[in-house]
Amino acid sequence: MKVALFSSRPQFGYWLALAWLALLAGAGLLAPLLPLPYAAANADLQHIATPPEWSAPSAHYLGTDSLGRDVLAGLLAGARRLLVLSLPAVVLATVAGALAGAAAGFWGNRGLRLPVAVAAAALAALWWGLELPLSSMPYWLLGIAIILSLVSWRLYRLAARWLSFALPLDSLVLGIVTLLGAVPRLILLLVLVAGPTPTQAQFLGVLILLAWPDAARLVRGQMLRVRVQPFVEAARASGLHAGRIWWRHALPHACRPLLAFAPLSLASLIALESALAFLGIGQGPDIVSWGSILASMRQDPTTWWVAAGPGVALLATLLALQAVAKARQLEVNN
Amino acid sequence: MRYYWLGSLFALLVSACSTPAAKQASTPIHIRWARDPETLDPLALSNPSAIDAINLLHLALLQVDFQHNKYAPALAQDFPGVRYEGDSLTLLDYQLREAATWDNGEPVLATDVDFTLKLMHCPGLPNENSRAQYGFIRQVRIDPANPRRFTLVCRSRSAETASISGDFPVLPEAALDPAHTLRSLLLATLQDWPLSRSPAPAVAAVVRRYQQANLARQPHNLPGCGPYRLASWQTNQELHFQRKAHWWADKLPAAPIVLQARPQELVFSVLPDDAAAALALRRHDIDVYPQVPARIFQQLQASQAARQELVFYTHSSYDILTVGFNTRRAALRDRRTRQALSRLFDPVRLLAATQLGQGTRTVGLLPPSSSFYNDSLPLPAYAPAEALALLQQAGWQRGADGHWRQPGLATPLAVVLRYRAEEATFATTGLQFKSAAAQLGIPVTLLPAEGSVTTAALQAGDFDLYIRLIKGSPFGLNFATILHSEAIGSGNFTGFGRPDTDRLLVAISTEGNLARKRQLLRRFQAIIQEEMPVLPLFFLPYRLAATRQLQHIVPSGLKPGYAMTALAWPAAVPPASHP
Repeated sequence: MKVALFSSRPQFGYWLALAWLALLAGAGLLAPLLPLPYAAANADLQHIATPPEWSAPSAHYLGTDSLGRDVLAGLLAGARRLLVLSLPAVVLATVAGALAGAAAGFWGNRGLRLPVAVAAAALAALWWGLELPLSSMPYWLLGIAIILSLVSWRLYRLAARWLSFALPLDSLVLGIVTLLGAVPRLILLLVLVAGPTPTQAQFLGVLILLAWPDAARLVRGQMLRVRVQPFVEAARASGLHAGRIWWRHALPHACRPLLAFAPLSLASLIALESALAFLGIGQGPDIVSWGSILASMRQDPTTWWVAAGPGVALLATLLALQAVAKARQLEVNN
Repeated sequence: MRYYWLGSLFALLVSACSTPAAKQASTPIHIRWARDPETLDPLALSNPSAIDAINLLHLALLQVDFQHNKYAPALAQDFPGVRYEGDSLTLLDYQLREAATWDNGEPVLATDVDFTLKLMHCPGLPNENSRAQYGFIRQVRIDPANPRRFTLVCRSRSAETASISGDFPVLPEAALDPAHTLRSLLLATLQDWPLSRSPAPAVAAVVRRYQQANLARQPHNLPGCGPYRLASWQTNQELHFQRKAHWWADKLPAAPIVLQARPQELVFSVLPDDAAAALALRRHDIDVYPQVPARIFQQLQASQAARQELVFYTHSSYDILTVGFNTRRAALRDRRTRQALSRLFDPVRLLAATQLGQGTRTVGLLPPSSSFYNDSLPLPAYAPAEALALLQQAGWQRGADGHWRQPGLATPLAVVLRYRAEEATFATTGLQFKSAAAQLGIPVTLLPAEGSVTTAALQAGDFDLYIRLIKGSPFGLNFATILHSEAIGSGNFTGFGRPDTDRLLVAISTEGNLARKRQLLRRFQAIIQEEMPVLPLFFLPYRLAATRQLQHIVPSGLKPGYAMTALAWPAAVPPASHP
């Protein structure tokens, strides 16, 4: 089934939004190469909270904040942070959510059967995971997973069907999604990062953890419709393996709404990350983002220029992503 | 819904145009605190807010008179009589006030003082700071003929011994040790009790009772003799103190300023954010804003509307911005490495940027106005070339990857700098250091965190460098609490301490001869600059802004920067007009 990307002429706003996002991506990519007179995290002690200045060649063109950081350099650093943090988080979360939601929707609670040994080994892995030191846990889990796979594969081939059990995948995914959705996202994020300052990779992991349930819920709902479509039934009737039907035929159709959803998810994560940076939790003043520049205005509310740059950039980005999502939604609907 | 918003808007307009309510004598005075006290344990005195709160609940023998910036008798009838015994002992004869009583009406007696000093040396209580501060008091000799009369035997000949000997909250013996079991133990016995030996049964029982009282959160479990009681405590939001209706000092014919408690209610609003605090002051949500940051103070002073509503005071203080080095870390064990890193801080530009130049640079932990100040030492200054040379002298070599490595150390030189978040001065200092270090190829990780988290990390030694304020005072000059090896894990975060420096610190706190004391202190400052466990950047001024209607504002250079119990509303105040 062919998916048409555009069936009607996109609006001017759509192209404007795309242009802004392209500009943002370019600025983020080129930020380390641009000949800026100041680094984003450097404090210019002679120019604390100074308004925009254009006369001198090495002036602060968009002013400085209450810590002496250059606002222009901060804007570019913020754009780069979107590229290296928010965008990968959305991509990974969307992929993870789509796979989990699609699997849950396709197989339900009875469709996926696994050897009994898998359940025993999973429980053992859980027990080991809780008992072992946190630092070495990834290695142990990897080892256990490899052994588990080998044993399962062997057992699956040897054992009779009565030795297998139905994995309640749908309940499992829905349960986790409901659990994560029960707590407001910002609160959950605060709880997860308010302790020891997380590394960039940990922060990325937390963002993925928070973002995947939405994609999973959406794709699961779509998959429930797709799996009863005639083309899926036909594939089943032709004797294709369930995994192949899921991957090659059902999944692409179930993921179509993500075209419209991913920009909204990105907007949501950008807003969340900015809110966290504004609260100053989980990062030092040397990690510059739009939210952290906005936050520095709290030290000196008279510095309007500190709010203007990141505020406009944040607003424009969120509106642009919404415009893109809206255009994509129209495409999906058509 | 529409009417709701219209109503809200109308209410906002009305409130904006209204005048502040007229203040009665009983109107609570709202004061800004930058942080929650966290614990109200009278032995812990964990942070400035906790010290302020405990001074309202309890009284000391001598307390600071903010009007004259010196100690004045509080529970004591008068200053102690001073006698000397032998070469090293000072005897201080105290007499407690006849009128002084606990909340339950029982008199404050010499046995209570003796009991409090013994509590400071009971293991298992949060008394590390008190122990280091008052360890020089070796014995309490109670006059058998007069239960209010006693002599403190101090192992010190210092001129300040008399004044600093009485600045601790006195606690009631009857509440915590009704059977008087601690009386059988001498104070010196407790002080010299080996750490390896388990405490005496009497001590263990008192410690258990003290812990069960949960004074950290429930201070009302212990009767006090101070003028206020804690009415409510909403953590990280507000503490509300009410004046006792019948306080013993009210009966004094002419109460000195340290025994005056004018406000009927004191409400401390915990507002970590400075801009929010300034806004709260302008909105009349708080009446007193102590220790205002330089820029906000300047903006308030520049505003005509604010000038009409507020009064402003500035005073030089004993608060000093310092950088501490964790001397236990392998990379920082060599003093030349610490010296090198210290050369990357720029006190001159930091003072100008964060304090608008108001403040005083210093060579050590003493202000330049002190007669003990070592003016022969150079002021710390930004010198990256010197830093480079010192690193090389310390054996650091820069590799092809740009990292500095030292033979014998597995990891390259990298620094974790901790400080309390919400402090713009700390953040600016951290950023300045980070960019200076980056130019030399030293990676720096800034770790700002909430106050209690930072303190816990510093006590656990989980840092390389820290930035913090040391709140000093002109009294005592006892630096043992922050640099003595016995204070490691409590007040001595740097882990610095050698037998010779420990002896020097003890000698400073006990020396009575001024000339010799000056010599010792000058040597101490030179050693600190050489060893560099702590880098003093500059002394900060105290800036206070308060509602103009308030009376009896006594600004001071001593913490907290004003006399809070002297504050009062005028008897009848006509409402001031709002801008």
